[in-house]
Amino acid sequence: MNIVADGLRVDYGTVRAVDGVTFSLDGGKIYGLLGRNGSGKTSLLSVLAAFRKQSGGTVRVGGRPVFENADVTRDICLIRDAGETVDIGTAADALDFAEWLRPNWDAEYAHALMDRFALKRNANVKAMSKGQRSALGVVVGLASRAPLTMFDESYIGMDAPARYAFYDALLADYMEHPRTIILSTHLIGEVSSLFEEVLIINRGRLLLHERSETLLARGTSVTGPVAAVDAFTTGLTVLNTDRLGPTKVAMVYGDLDETSRRKAVEAGLELGPIAMQDLFVRLTDPDPATLNAPVPTEPAGEVR
Amino acid sequence: MFDDQSPIYRQIADRIKTEVLNGTLSGGDQVMSTNRYAAFYRINPATAAKAFQQLVDEGVLYKKRGIGMFVSPDAREALRTRRRESFFAEVVAPMVAEAKVIGIPLTDIVKRINELEEHA
Amino acid sequence: MRFPSRLLGAPLIYTAFMWAGFYVLVALITIGVAIFGTLRISGWEVATQIPRWLALFIGVSLIREFLPLYIAHGQTRREFGAQAAVTVVLYAPAFSALITLGYLLESLLYGLLGRPQTLTSVHLFSSPTQVPLIFTEYLVQGLTWMVAGVLMAAAFYRWQAAGMLSLPFGIALVVLGESAIGGNLRLPFFTSALDFDLAPSVPMALGVGLGCLLVGLALTWPIIRDVPLRNRVS
Repeated sequence: MNIVADGLRVDYGTVRAVDGVTFSLDGGKIYGLLGRNGSGKTSLLSVLAAFRKQSGGTVRVGGRPVFENADVTRDICLIRDAGETVDIGTAADALDFAEWLRPNWDAEYAHALMDRFALKRNANVKAMSKGQRSALGVVVGLASRAPLTMFDESYIGMDAPARYAFYDALLADYMEHPRTIILSTHLIGEVSSLFEEVLIINRGRLLLHERSETLLARGTSVTGPVAAVDAFTTGLTVLNTDRLGPTKVAMVYGDLDETSRRKAVEAGLELGPIAMQDLFVRLTDPDPATLNAPVPTEPAGEVR
Repeated sequence: MFDDQSPIYRQIADRIKTEVLNGTLSGGDQVMSTNRYAAFYRINPATAAKAFQQLVDEGVLYKKRGIGMFVSPDAREALRTRRRESFFAEVVAPMVAEAKVIGIPLTDIVKRINELEEHA
Repeated sequence: MRFPSRLLGAPLIYTAFMWAGFYVLVALITIGVAIFGTLRISGWEVATQIPRWLALFIGVSLIREFLPLYIAHGQTRREFGAQAAVTVVLYAPAFSALITLGYLLESLLYGLLGRPQTLTSVHLFSSPTQVPLIFTEYLVQGLTWMVAGVLMAAAFYRWQAAGMLSLPFGIALVVLGESAIGGNLRLPFFTSALDFDLAPSVPMALGVGLGCLLVGLALTWPIIRDVPLRNRVS
């Protein structure tokens, strides 16, 4: 299910939460949607799922507009912390309604997931712990088998074993029933290896949309004597620098070709990769003073 | 599961190569599917597929349509040849450089190597 | 459109359980009064002041719980609106049937106790065994209270505190409905201020009930037709 957003805007009164976001996703992949708190992730996903109408621009899923379009929305599932799909009596009630309303619902799989997360069917959702409630949302989201499935920070309150159970179940079910999955998360270190492509939004705008590998290949840490690091990084985009005595570490953002890599090694510098989490933190740093050069905002053109 | 020093797909490819070199995988053996690799390492299957593609390109693996990936009959020999070619550049040269930095005479290294050879 | 079996079923099951519990409670109180005091009037008639609030509450829950649930499961607002309207239309007769059944069961009970089941308020019916009239009265009551709940809940869901502006409309629906079935409504301010002096009759009651339903639904639709789901649990 491909997803195309063009100049998408979401306003809350005078506050602009999503500010002209344009992207095109092929679908059939696992996408990571990253952004700081208040960057507009939930608003963006809510528009994709027809939970709310955009204030401007267009969004098309499978080539068709989404809002109040039953043919499209029945194929879309967004699980949010607000808990629309679970806050309805007991866990069994939530599953019954999901079964009634979801065309691809797999009740057997839902049962298996309930066991996996140690959830009781007769438990009242309002009396559940935050983690249990989140886990129930995960069960509903996965067992819905919607061609476009989105999880908006669905791990809140879940402990580490439960979160990894979620990641494993998601990955296994995605491979068995390929579909488009969008995960928004703050726990980038835990899930970044699941993403095939990554979108980062910052203050309502799309900062980048890349294949995960491309994004990771673009970040390089340069470590060595201060003077050598400074000489090498002149003219490059440096996201961040750190000094430990005579040693300096610079986070360089951009493609380094073989020649410059060789030059760096010859100059006694150590090159290393940067974790997605660190790249994200630096790319969305609200304090531009830490940047030696403006962050390039490449269009997503090279993403196929 | 993985260090951050190189892309995950390269680490998977290296691991499979190591298994071929040390004989865990022999020529003609079927390797686990990309999906099983993906599930095991908790990575996107496209990443696992990329590792396999790299190994196919290098001739370590070959694809049987509809069945899966297999180790090339001559994979081990080819890998050994390639490792031999790069051995002096990638293993010996850095060792010599390191020895110079910390002041170990090369004769000591040769002596040690001879000792190891005798014990083996 | 699919028949809204789940949307209707959930409140019906809930209502049936509430009714059973409530009926037993009322019966026990009446029996208590019969034993320790003088039982002259219909206890069920007094008790039926309360169920209409349940109808209102069910109307509210349609918007507060089921509207977000349905939209989150890929239904459109239009689909939900249609299902909710059918639910209101079908819930009200079931609601009324249960209350009517209450009167009939009470007649049996009073017969056993040998007490007069006297009615004290103005109704469409004058005896607790006039089933069609009783049914009509509580049908109208169920419709108006429920649709008023839907309307006000929709306004509060969409506009939070500003949803208060819908209260006069909701109360007007309820007052109109009550006037048409006998004017027995004890709301502060409104009973005296809006003393509709309508002589209750079945056609008029049904007409007013249907009118209130249509007006309530018509006022609700523009509120929910493009309502965004709230981002946070409130």
